[in-house]
Amino acid sequence: MQKTKASQAYRQAVGALPQRLRREALALSEADQGRVEELRLRTGWPMTALLPEGERSLGGVPVESRELEQLLEIASQASVHTVLPQVRQGYLTIQGGHRIGLCGTAAMEAGQIHALRAFSSASIRIARQIKGACAPVLDGLCPGGRLADTLILSPPGLGKTTLLRDLIRAVSWGEGCCPLRVSLADERGEVAALFQGEPQLEVGPRTDVVEGCPKAQGLMLLLRAMNPQVLAVDEITAPEDVAALETAAGCGVTLLATAHGEGWEDLERRPVYRALMEKRLFRYCVQIRRDGEKRSYHIEELR
Amino acid sequence: MVHLIGATLLAAGCGYLGFQAAETLRRKSRSLRQMAQALALVEGELELGSPPLGQLLERVANRSAGPAKRLMEACVQGLDRLDREDFSTLWRRQVAGLEELGEEGRAALSPLGDILGRYDGQAQREGTQVVRQALEKLAQRWEEERRRQGRVYQVLGLSGGAFLVILLL
Repeated sequence: MQKTKASQAYRQAVGALPQRLRREALALSEADQGRVEELRLRTGWPMTALLPEGERSLGGVPVESRELEQLLEIASQASVHTVLPQVRQGYLTIQGGHRIGLCGTAAMEAGQIHALRAFSSASIRIARQIKGACAPVLDGLCPGGRLADTLILSPPGLGKTTLLRDLIRAVSWGEGCCPLRVSLADERGEVAALFQGEPQLEVGPRTDVVEGCPKAQGLMLLLRAMNPQVLAVDEITAPEDVAALETAAGCGVTLLATAHGEGWEDLERRPVYRALMEKRLFRYCVQIRRDGEKRSYHIEELR
Repeated sequence: MVHLIGATLLAAGCGYLGFQAAETLRRKSRSLRQMAQALALVEGELELGSPPLGQLLERVANRSAGPAKRLMEACVQGLDRLDREDFSTLWRRQVAGLEELGEEGRAALSPLGDILGRYDGQAQREGTQVVRQALEKLAQRWEEERRRQGRVYQVLGLSGGAFLVILLL
């Protein structure tokens, strides 16, 4: 069942490819379709599929720049103007929450990227939601049945965003804890993946999402507009994010956030996070580590 | 009696040809006006908030008539087959089938497919405006042509018919 769902997500994602490339992508076996994490298209090279064991060429005719433009046209339903702000950031979210990353020649205007043209590469990242990913940590983060302020910490690629999304979903539904109103500042659309206003990845019935604006501004907007009980944000990176979280904490809102880092000690060395730690905004820190093929979760109480 | 019926038919046939020629001019001018009006709607929609192209074309199709309605509807349907035919090619192919716009009208309208949906709202609006103005000018020209030539065609048809009747009788 899980495998079928995984290959369904793959087939939905390859729907954005031009016909020739779509045929090549669908020539993969169903088992492989379910394991593909990304499809990579580079001008002048055959398309490749990124699998857990590495990148595999699909062996077809080299990709042309024209086909990358066609990819953008299909993905935006011939409405590039509606996704221009995303394209300027180098990505585009399509139905199903799949993400298309784009590279090419940047056209600059007033020091900012105004547009990308003459595309050289694209990647299609297949979105697969893992419901229940938060089960190993949920009890530990909900003393008295209510979610406490939590920071999720791990190096890239270990599933911070997946865990955050599933925690939001569980808290919003009230799975294993009391249901709470969650507001999510999803700057790059990686957590809820809004498509025409609808989250493509499930974040629960009591979740409000703001997307496409800097995290700090998004957090303040949510705080003012949506009266949240939990404020969630993916990847704290700037001092403004910390300031916004501090304001929210002052309003009695529960915080749920992620950060890149090997561990608590690693954060202490970085100025942005030092402030965060000094203010003791979080009660729990969940560290994700790789144990061989598997991931393990370690909860540390901070206050 | 047979001669009389034949003569009447001949006169009526020639008259019909004259009226038909005048009607062709009128239809061309009306089609160009309808297309220009549809493009004005496109501009309005783009000004309101640049909706996705499918939505925009559908809204305009619902408020248009004649070749403009046909073009917009065909393009909306074609958006489901973008993996096989890009929008620009689809637009050009559909425009090529609009005989009633005349060669110049089609030539003015064709490049718009390279602009719609591809640039930001402002650039699309400007592009659409240029094409709309070109179509309006053409429509005006054909309207003047119709006023000038339409009557001539009608009179020529009728008098040509009368001349043939006299000649044959």
